[in-house]
Amino acid sequence: MDKGHMASNGQVPSAPDVIVDFLGNIMPFKELDLQLLQDVARHVRVDFFPKGTWLLTMGESEVRFLYLIQQGGVKSFLTDEEGQTTLKDYRGEGEYIGALGIIRGTVANMNVETVEDTFCFLLPRDIFLDLITSQPGFAQYYLKSFSEKVVSTAYTELRKHRVARRGDEDLYLFSIKVEDIIGRTLRRIPVGASVQDAAKMMMRFSVGSLLLYENDEDNIVGIITDKDLRNKVVAAGMEMAMPVRKIMTSPVAAISSQAVCFDALIKMMSSGIHHLAVEDNGKITGIITSHDVMLLQGNSPYMLFKEISTQCSYPALYSLAQKIPGVVRNLINEGAKAGNIAQMVALLNDRVLAQLLRLVELELGRAPVPYCWLLLGCEGRKELTFKTGQENALVYADPEDDYQQRAAAVYFKELSKRTINHLVNCGYPVAEEQIIASDSRWCRPLRVWKDQYTTWLKGEPFAGVVEKGSFFDIRLGYGHKPLFEEIRAKIVKDARKYNGYLISAVNDCTNWRTPLAVFRDVIVEEDGKQESLFDIKEKGLAPYIHFARILALHYGIRETNTLARLAILAKEGRLDGELAGRIQEACEIQMHIQLIHQLHQYEVGSLPDSFIALGKLTELEKKMLRDGFELVGELNDLLQSLVKGIHKRQR
Amino acid sequence: MRSLFSWLRKPDPLLVRNEEQFKRLDFRLPLPDYDYVVCDTELTGLHKRKDEIISIGAVRISRLQIELSSTFHTLVRPVKLDANQATFVHRITPEQLRKAPGIEEVLPRFVEYCSGALLVGHCISLDLHFLNLAIRKNLGGILSNPCVDTMTMARLYKELAGKRGVRFAGNPGSLVLDDLTAEFKLPRFKPHDALEDALQTAYLFLFLAKKLKSMGVQTLEDVRQLGRNKGEERLF
Repeated sequence: MDKGHMASNGQVPSAPDVIVDFLGNIMPFKELDLQLLQDVARHVRVDFFPKGTWLLTMGESEVRFLYLIQQGGVKSFLTDEEGQTTLKDYRGEGEYIGALGIIRGTVANMNVETVEDTFCFLLPRDIFLDLITSQPGFAQYYLKSFSEKVVSTAYTELRKHRVARRGDEDLYLFSIKVEDIIGRTLRRIPVGASVQDAAKMMMRFSVGSLLLYENDEDNIVGIITDKDLRNKVVAAGMEMAMPVRKIMTSPVAAISSQAVCFDALIKMMSSGIHHLAVEDNGKITGIITSHDVMLLQGNSPYMLFKEISTQCSYPALYSLAQKIPGVVRNLINEGAKAGNIAQMVALLNDRVLAQLLRLVELELGRAPVPYCWLLLGCEGRKELTFKTGQENALVYADPEDDYQQRAAAVYFKELSKRTINHLVNCGYPVAEEQIIASDSRWCRPLRVWKDQYTTWLKGEPFAGVVEKGSFFDIRLGYGHKPLFEEIRAKIVKDARKYNGYLISAVNDCTNWRTPLAVFRDVIVEEDGKQESLFDIKEKGLAPYIHFARILALHYGIRETNTLARLAILAKEGRLDGELAGRIQEACEIQMHIQLIHQLHQYEVGSLPDSFIALGKLTELEKKMLRDGFELVGELNDLLQSLVKGIHKRQR
Repeated sequence: MRSLFSWLRKPDPLLVRNEEQFKRLDFRLPLPDYDYVVCDTELTGLHKRKDEIISIGAVRISRLQIELSSTFHTLVRPVKLDANQATFVHRITPEQLRKAPGIEEVLPRFVEYCSGALLVGHCISLDLHFLNLAIRKNLGGILSNPCVDTMTMARLYKELAGKRGVRFAGNPGSLVLDDLTAEFKLPRFKPHDALEDALQTAYLFLFLAKKLKSMGVQTLEDVRQLGRNKGEERLF
């Protein structure tokens, strides 16, 4: 050991190396010079908090220290009046707690509880505040991390009233300019045109308003809306040939393109009008409606849902479908867990699908026989958040004769081809080898499907299918429900009767290579290979998904969602409740990591994938991954004993 | 000859003052209510009469938090400075020891440092033996501070945890500081440095005090009762 700093009389400066080293390795302390670092280190106290200790209580605890985690981990969460808790964050080694409370001089804004035995370095409030005021880098660091981690989550509002308007909506209203929400192309018509021409034009472009010009296209003199047509023409019994001039609102209420949306909302609310012309340097460049502002304000799943339900044009559906990922951020900010978010997204995706199929049906005419659009894989399990691919199939009622059979084959081929194309336009890509309904193998009558499932469950190979399990995570997307119910009943029945598929699926699972360990920023595989990118979908989540699926099939459980499958297995006493809980926890954490990762990719405009850079995970997240890997071993043992039981019964 | 007289001489006022502080100490208070000094000594060897202290490290604990504002760490120049002695283990060079203050200079500072605090150590009786040997010689008395042995606490904790079905990985029987550190997954310090060893012991002490509290061991008296250290009145 280096004793170079030991004074000649044998005395050592009092700040122990371990603290100085620790501080010297974390932001923003690493920016301090050594002398100051040692001064700071001398003020530190060390405390130990056993797992399950409440460090801070929301709205009560005075924050007297900055807690720096030396070893262990904590979670922070909110509790509302009904005692419902919302998980906000995990913090692990090298991370801090309490900075916000100290800087703002308020009591703790969240509950903080240790999730492991945890050692913390405690830096007294006054010392921390001194650093904040004297070190420019400090204030900047914490403010930046607040704006990223905390302010955007608008936790204060959430904490007060879950049901009240959320804080981030206000932020949007104040930060987004009017020009940024102009959606539709501006449509204009001469002021002398007839009411009927105006109505035709509105229908053609599916817009709710037109601007009226005189002589010059840029000389806007008024506006008409569909409400004007309804109230001032039809209800009033006026002539269709009458010029629009007679019913227009003039002059047009306008707002600057540079105004923030909040101003627009105020103007609309106070004047009771729903359309505002957007003005740029004296020129009208677009129209915004109260609806546009509302959409922005309530970037809420419900608003989007309603909007999708009323759209009946492809382009409108395409653009609405692109807005679905936007709700994800809001839900994350509200503290929703990945599982819940995926369910919400599934609802929205289903709604888009239903609208598309309705439109396609309108184009093609009525289907010759009833049919069902089936969702498989991720979508079938309601575990898809970002649109990483399509997996679907189609089943139609058994045709009565040869003629009907041929008609059905042609019709559904066309229907699925068109629908898949529209789905692609909505942003759901189709990957190679993916199971899709436009593939004739996956677009078949009920009888064929039922036989197919029987042969699969008996253990016959899945010709040309990569992801076999997908077929057992099947869900009704749209259409005639009884068809789907029949397939599902067949699966449940045959899975209990035949064990071929189950045994081969268990074999697949136990041959699975789970990573051995997570060290620093790399994952070590069984063969010693080291990876700094971790495929969380294939290597992290897949084992749990397969495990839940196999048990669900074996015990005749109809549910397809992994978390729900586990819950039912535990409830029915098929799976130890404590173990089920641990699997669910591991699943949720990994889903959440994946979700945050994909959200980030989505927001920077790249295609969402599931490759996690380990260097970006916190120590705690890495620890949870490690725990997850250990769990997989346990699950494989369980599956093995399940198979042994099956063999025994057969003998 | 001087050392013979030291057995007869009156205790130094420092020691008298120190003793005063513990006269009416109530052992039935919760553990966080006391101040502690966790200390560790490095020795030339383990011969009870011949060997000497060559380093003392100590940290103070109040409200069951380690205070890093006032650590105690010093080398001590032994009377018999022999290059062949165990100093290699401690990675202290004879040169460093030659420059270090003698024990007579160090002890008053150390007694002062321990003022009002309970002494904590891993197998504290060993450190105490060598400390008191030197204090007797130089200050004409001994330390009156009650002592807490983390080894006793660790044994007690393992017993109680075992009854609750808690299993530890590693070397379950061992009470060696290193093994306990691994078993309880405590942060690790560099071994064979008096201050770092004292810190390591302090971490163990915090861990045990808080874990034992959740098992109903709240006071020093509880530690004594359950830890079966009934022989000595002031050792827990």
